[in-house]
Amino acid sequence: MKKKLMMVATTLLALASPMFAQGTKGTASADYRLAAAYIAMGIAAGLCGIGQGRATASASEAMARNPGAIAAIRVALILGLVLIESLALYTLVITFVATK
Amino acid sequence: MHELWITALFNRFLAGPATAVLNAIHYPAQDPRNPWTDWMVCEIIVVLFVVVFFAFLRTRLSVQTPGKAQHLFEVVYEFIHASAEEVVGHEGARYVPFFGTIFLFILSLNLIGLIPGFDSPTMYPMVPLGFAVATFFFYHSTGFREHGPGYLKQFLGPILWLAFLMLPIEIISHFARPLSLTVRLFANMFAGEQVYLTFITLTKVIVPVIFIGLHLFVALLQAYIFMLLAMIYVGGAVAHEH
Repeated sequence: MKKKLMMVATTLLALASPMFAQGTKGTASADYRLAAAYIAMGIAAGLCGIGQGRATASASEAMARNPGAIAAIRVALILGLVLIESLALYTLVITFVATK
Repeated sequence: MHELWITALFNRFLAGPATAVLNAIHYPAQDPRNPWTDWMVCEIIVVLFVVVFFAFLRTRLSVQTPGKAQHLFEVVYEFIHASAEEVVGHEGARYVPFFGTIFLFILSLNLIGLIPGFDSPTMYPMVPLGFAVATFFFYHSTGFREHGPGYLKQFLGPILWLAFLMLPIEIISHFARPLSLTVRLFANMFAGEQVYLTFITLTKVIVPVIFIGLHLFVALLQAYIFMLLAMIYVGGAVAHEH
């Protein structure tokens, strides 16, 4: 499974080489910045999704086990989700700054 | 960026006073003929609307026959009061004016962006920065008022000989708080607007409505979260170790 993933990743990165032929979008360093910004945002959004999924799963299970504490768990869940979300948003702001 | 119709109105009639005020604080406008910015104009409109609305509501308050607006705002007040008591502790009710102002003002600023001719001032980074700096000074001042000068001992950590390690960590984390408050509010509102614009150009109908709905939900949530985090910081500042 791991070998397959490595092969897929290498193929995708090699397929991106036509990017070097672009001349219309400004200098080459601007292209690298754009590519890095896209990859960074993708990684940030993916990991944020994993984190929020775990938070929601554990909050749902806690609410199912202890229906009396639903209000308190809901507050903790919302707070946790927003704090995790803000990490992905920091990356978004950095991509705006880097590709200015 | 293209100016709103209301900013153009302000620039035509009130450019003189704006330039005078900006020059008095030694911060001249970027475009001397259009000193008013979109966010300043929308903020002033929200402030005027809120002040007039609540002044009018104040005259209509009644214990025997409450009206609909009174019911609505009693629910909102009860919500803020209960959250403050739960998060800050027994003395939380003292700070409800600040938390209520933060919540209602940020909520109004977020929501005015949904009206077609207006812009959310919270979409521009300086406005959330103002809220974050105000919250920063507020919670430190509550700490000083509660503990006196001994408030600073909180930054040294629980064990005294580890203070040299704890102090830089505490200072950095305390300065990261206004930064995170600013970026969270600004990025949520800005990203909501950008996503909406993207989908308006991609799919002209129906799909942008879904994103407006999402933006509405996010506006409510972000206002609540700003208030909740302010309460948590105040709670941390006034906490008494028993």
